[in-house]
Parts: sequence; structure tokens; C-alpha cells
Amino acid sequence: MQTRIARRYAAERRFRLIGLGAVLLSGAFLAFLLFVMVGNGARGFTYTNVAVPIDFASTPLTVDAARLNDPDADQLIANAGLADIVAFAAEEALGDDGDELISENAWKEVRSAIKDDPELMTGRHVFDLPASSEIDMAAKAGASGALGARIAELRRDGRLSTGIHWPFFRNADATDPAVAGIWGALKGSVLTIFIAFCIAFPTGVLAALYLEEYAPKNRWTDMIEVSINNLAAVPSIIFGLLALAVFINWFGICQASPLVGGLTLALMTMPVIVIASRNAIKAVPPSIRDAALGVGASPVQVVFHHVLPLALPGILTGTIIGMARALGETAPLLLVGMRAFIGDVPGGICSPSTVLPMQIFLWSDEVDRGFVEKTSAAIIVLLFVLLSMNALAIYLRNKFEKRW
Amino acid sequence: MSFNPAALLLLIVGLGLIGWLAGRARSAMVAGRAGAKLHSRPQYHGWYVALWLFAPAAIFLAVWSSVAPAMITNDVLASEAAQRLPAFGFERSAILSDARGVAQGDQPSVRIEGAGPLVEPYRAATQKYGMIGIAAMLALALAGGLFAFTRIRPDFRARSRVERIVMGLLLLASLVAILTTFGIVLSLLFESIRFFQLVSPAELLFGTYWNPQSGAAVEGTFGGIPLFWGTVLIGAIIAMIVAIPIGMMTAVYLTQYAAPAVRRWVKPILEILAGVPTVVYGYFAALTVAPALRNFAVMIGIPNASTESALAAGIVMGVMIIPFVSSMADDSINAVPQAMRDGSLALGATPNETIRQVLIPAALPGVMGGILLAVSRAIGETMIVVMAAGLSANLTANPFASVTTVTAQIVKLLTGDQEFDSAKTLAAFALGLVLFVVTLLLNIVALRIVKKYREAYE
Repeated sequence: MQTRIARRYAAERRFRLIGLGAVLLSGAFLAFLLFVMVGNGARGFTYTNVAVPIDFASTPLTVDAARLNDPDADQLIANAGLADIVAFAAEEALGDDGDELISENAWKEVRSAIKDDPELMTGRHVFDLPASSEIDMAAKAGASGALGARIAELRRDGRLSTGIHWPFFRNADATDPAVAGIWGALKGSVLTIFIAFCIAFPTGVLAALYLEEYAPKNRWTDMIEVSINNLAAVPSIIFGLLALAVFINWFGICQASPLVGGLTLALMTMPVIVIASRNAIKAVPPSIRDAALGVGASPVQVVFHHVLPLALPGILTGTIIGMARALGETAPLLLVGMRAFIGDVPGGICSPSTVLPMQIFLWSDEVDRGFVEKTSAAIIVLLFVLLSMNALAIYLRNKFEKRW
Repeated sequence: MSFNPAALLLLIVGLGLIGWLAGRARSAMVAGRAGAKLHSRPQYHGWYVALWLFAPAAIFLAVWSSVAPAMITNDVLASEAAQRLPAFGFERSAILSDARGVAQGDQPSVRIEGAGPLVEPYRAATQKYGMIGIAAMLALALAGGLFAFTRIRPDFRARSRVERIVMGLLLLASLVAILTTFGIVLSLLFESIRFFQLVSPAELLFGTYWNPQSGAAVEGTFGGIPLFWGTVLIGAIIAMIVAIPIGMMTAVYLTQYAAPAVRRWVKPILEILAGVPTVVYGYFAALTVAPALRNFAVMIGIPNASTESALAAGIVMGVMIIPFVSSMADDSINAVPQAMRDGSLALGATPNETIRQVLIPAALPGVMGGILLAVSRAIGETMIVVMAAGLSANLTANPFASVTTVTAQIVKLLTGDQEFDSAKTLAAFALGLVLFVVTLLLNIVALRIVKKYREAYE
């Protein structure tokens, strides 16, 4: 008897430990994932610069300073041969391999500096130019052999400096990690989510109000409920197929734009918002409706003056969570053309653009090793945005949730 | 003055606001003059006028901005300069869109030769139809507004009218869900039927060789079995082997053993795990898990181990599904009546025996439903398999080999550069149809099970 009990208690302890182990395992997965991303990504926020003096007195840049604010100023400066001037200056200052030490797009940084301050075009100035991807990686991670020696030499000369990689926050996509940035994708994401919100939120809330407050019990209502529940479980890529067939091929809405992406995500998140809103509306006690009806409010007044304001915190919480999910969504947007390489920051809701998760996907396919840390850095930014949205939702829930 | 829908929308919203103010003021005035009481409060009269001002004009705006481009193009084609255009085809449309771009100010100058002379006709036609559109829209708005404005009387039932419109809006919003469902079904069916005219459904469902080529459809290259097998292997087998035990045990521990403080910490962790975007999981699988697994496979001597393995995608997908399984199991265990648990404990069973012999059997239908939902979610998952499982269609049971899935192939088929009517593109829609039907069935069965079981205890 005693041994049996001991055995049973041992089994109990084992079972409990297995349970604890399962919880710890889930936690460990998350911790490991975050650790890998932060470990890889932290370096993606910084970049190695090489100090290069450029003497515009001996190699003049023949551009009319008055035209630097023209819309085609970029083209003008490029035509004036700035790239060659910068390459020449690099070779002059760093030796024969100077041109390879700096990024091939380094002259674009000089260009934007000149556009900000035309004074730089005269005389000799030292520019901190982005190093080539190879040098940057070697400088940050350490390297051996000839490359390591060269970097040690540059360090000794005080040419190398590592700082925050501003182009990463300022630029759109590029094929060179030295100038590739997430601003284009971030802006695309904001525009896309804005469109999705503007469509999904009103539609979802109104649909929820109808179903919860007014809908008669009949076949139509059943059909609406069934389709909302099914839509919530349809794989996201199916929405991409729908958008491709209907929005792009039938309506001809501008391809790869935040508009079509936002419409797709709106259809995808609407069921989530409807379900969350219905739960919030259901939680408003009937006594409030009865009281309002009792003092003579019409059914529409009851809902819009009393039920909706009380349910709004719950609705907003559900909406924010739905929007966070839409913000992280990639698959349906692949199908509406948003995976194309977009080198410009999108101008409006109809211009081609990409979104942050898509940028991560595109960079993960890049051959250049320098993109590994850029990808992880972009993931950190995305996770940060998503976690803040979720935290906001939880805060709203805790602050405004009422138990009746 | 150009026809800019966004600006015009803003304009009629502004007009609506003026209408609201005017309607409200007039109702008060009318009531004061007649010395009667208003049936509806003044703001309802305002809303009535505003809606009459806004709605017809907005509907016209939507219709006009979708019809006008075609009319403009027609006008341009009728012009003298258009007679020299190449008859049909790609070149013609390229020239037209180039000229349109210049005329609307999207680009500074023409890029294609021959577009130059068309710019002026385009500009003229755009101007003409823009003016017509704006004039008609304003006329409609004013007519609607005036009509509503003249109807304001003390006994006019403005509130009932406005409320009827609001109810209509609510109904319309809830119909969007049905519309979306129909849109999905119809668009998938329509394109799939076109595909099945080229390739027989039997081949897609039972063929064992998958290797679609560009150009005309070749018999025998659209066999879906390798894709379906890959989907099942990753989503229903490997992912579930990871997710079910961990998810179940997590739920059991959290509901039965964990102190409230632990629960308060673990729940958000699970929520974060569920909220990580799939592209991040995919990158994690491809960057970290897959190479590690490949090294492991090589070490234990498994032939043709690939860096794009089913195992890597499946494991990471399983991790992604853990919170989902855990929350479903949590719900079902909580739904078991407390009396059953108390009864078992009172008979002297340890908590572990109670859980294993009473709670889990009682919660089993709900748990099964939850698992079916998890499977449906896993087989519809795209980014992880696109990034980590590879694109080569192998019919293999070796989890270290590269397999592909339905979703990965849909992405592959649709992201190349090709015309929309090719067999490859249509095949993606046929695969989408299969995926949609399977996930739908899984969901329906799962919800049935869960619902039936809930009723049994309530």
C-alpha cells in the first residue's frame, strides 16, 4: 500500500514536472528566437564609416548651386560626375584600393549632404562615407588575414568610425546594404494599415451592431454569421487570391499599392473585428438598453448613444489586435504584387510600395551577407511596433474594461 | 481644375456639413414661426439634409470615377492623332498610358516615341470630362440638398427617415461578409474551371508528378499529390507532433497546477508567441533551425539532407501553433464541470490521475475540435514553408528532405512574370480552391464537435 502511494505520488510529481517543462519549453523558444534576432539585429542598426577628405577645389563639381532645389537636382549632380570625384578622392586618401573600401553608393550620401548644404561644394571637406558591405562586416565582427590587417591599419589611421546607421531609418530598399533602409517599407505599412483600418473598422463595428442588436432570426442572418465565422478561419493566402482576381484583374486597382494591400487586409481583419465587437456589445448589460428605451429613446438612439460608447473599449482592443495581425501579414500581399523591388519611398496610396514584413522577406533572400543583420534589425523594428500595439490593447482593456 | 476624387469627396463632405447646419437652423426657425413643437430634434433635420446632399453626390462620384477613364480614352481614340497608333496590342496601350501619364502630370515628359501628339487630346478630354463630372456632381448635391431642405416642417418625421438610412447602412455593412465569401468562392471556382478545361481535375488530385512549365499546359506535370503530401507532412504531422503535447501540457499545467502569479506571467508569453509574425518565424526557421538540423542529419548519416527541410518548417510551425492548441485545450478543460473534478479528487485520486482519467477524456471532443482547427491553420500557413521548406516537389517520407506545400506553390506560381491566363497562373487558383475546401471542411467539422460537446455539459 505504502509503496503504491509512493509510486502514485512520484507519478504526480513527474506529471507536474512535465507540465512545467512544457511551459518552460514554450518560453525558451520565445527567448531563443528573440535572442537570435537581437543578437543578429543589434549590429544592423550601426554601420562603419570611412573618413574621406574630398577636395572640390582640385576636382570641381560643376553644378549650379541655385538649381540644387530643383526636382531633378539628383540627376544633375549624378551627371556632373560626383561618383567619379568621390571614387578618386577615396583612392587619393586611402590608396589604390580606396574605391573598394567605400560603398559604391557612398557618393549618394555626399550628394544629399551637398543638397543640404551647398557650401560643401567648395573647398576641402572630410566626409564620413559608408564603408563597403564587406569592410563593414569585417570591422564589426572581426576578421583575419589581409582584410583584418587592412582594417587594423585603417583603424590606426583613425579613418574608421562606427555610428548609428541613419540611412537604415531614412531610405527605401536598395541592393546595397550600405544604403538600404526600412523607411519606404515602414511608410508603406502605415499607409496600408491606415486604408485597412478605415475600411475594416467602420464596416466591422456596424456589422457587429446589426448582428447583435437588430438582426431578425432568419436564414439571411444565419448565413451572415456562418460566413463571418468561416472568413475568420480562411487561410490568409486565399484573401490574396481573391484580391488578385477581383481587385487587380477585375477592378484594375493600382497593383502593388497600399490601396490594394489595405483593401485585402481589410477583408481579412473585418471578421476578427466583427467577432471582437460582438463580444464587447454582448457584455453591455440589457438593463442599460431597457432603461434607455424606457425613457423614450428610439432603438437607433439606444445603440448609438448608450451601447456603442460602453462597448467601445472592448471594440478598440479587438481592433488593435486585429490590426497588429494585419501589420505582420505577408502572404496575401505577396500575391498582389507587393514583393517587387521598390527603391523609392511611396508617395501616396496608389504608388507602388512594399510593407515591413515583405521587406524582411525580400532581404532574407538577398545574397549579400550584409543583409543578414539588416533583416534581423528590420525584424526587431517590426516586433517592437507589434508589441507596442499589443501592449496598448492590453492597457486599454485593463483601464476601461468594466465588469457589470 | 482637374477631376480629383479625393478632393471632391472632401468638398461634398464639406457641403454636407453646411447642409447639416442649414437644416438644423431651418428646423428651429420653422418651428419658432409656426409656434409648434418639432417632431424630431433639430439635429435630425440637419442629418436629413446632409445625407441628401452627400449620398447621391458620393454615389455619382464613385460611378463617374470608374467610368470616366474609359470615356476619356474613347475620346482620345476618336481624335485625329490617334489614327496613327499601331492597331492593337501591347505597344498601343503603352503609348496610351504614357500620354495619359504626361497629361495628368504624373511624369514630366513622354518616354515612348509617338506618345507626344496624344498628350494634348488627352489633356483636353480629361479637362472636358472632369468639368462635366464636377458640374453634374455639384448639381446633384444641390438638388438633393434643396429637396430635403424644402421638406423641413415641424411635423416632418426626420428622425424616422434618418434612422431608416442608418439601419440600411448597418445591414449593408453586415452583407460585406457574405459578399467576401461569395467573392472568394466565385473567383476561385471561375479560375479553377478555366484551369480544368486545360488539365483534368483527376490529374490535379491524383497525379504524382508536379513540375509546371511556362507556356501551354503539358499533360502530366500538374500532379498535386506531392504537394498534398508535403502539406500534410509539415502541417498535420510534424507541426502537430510538436504542438499537441507541448500545447496540451501547457494548458494542463496552467489550469490545474500553476499559481495565479505564474499564470499571469505565462499567458502574455504565449500571447507574444502567437503574435510573432509568420515571416519572422520563417526567417528564424531558414536562418537558424534549418542549418542546425542539416548538420545534425549529416552527423547521424542521413543521405540527401537538405538545408530546406520539412522538419525545420514543421517544428517552427509547431511552435507557432502551441499557443493556439493551448488556448483551445484551456477552454475545453475549463468547460468540464467542477463536480467531476471534485468527485474524482474526493475518491482519492491524485490530481494527475484526475486530469488523465477524468478531465482529459471529458474534454476530449473539445480538444479534438481544437486540434482540427490547429491543423487547418497549419496547412494554410504560407510564409514559414515558403522560406524554410523549399519549392521542389518531392514525394518522400524523409523529414530531412526538401518538400513543398500547396501554399508555397501558390506563391511560386503567382509571383513569376507571366500573363494572367497561363496554365500556371490558373493552377494556383485551382490549388487555392482545394486549400479553401479542405480548411472549410476542417473548420465546419471542428466547430460541430466543439458545439455539440458544449451542449452536452450545459
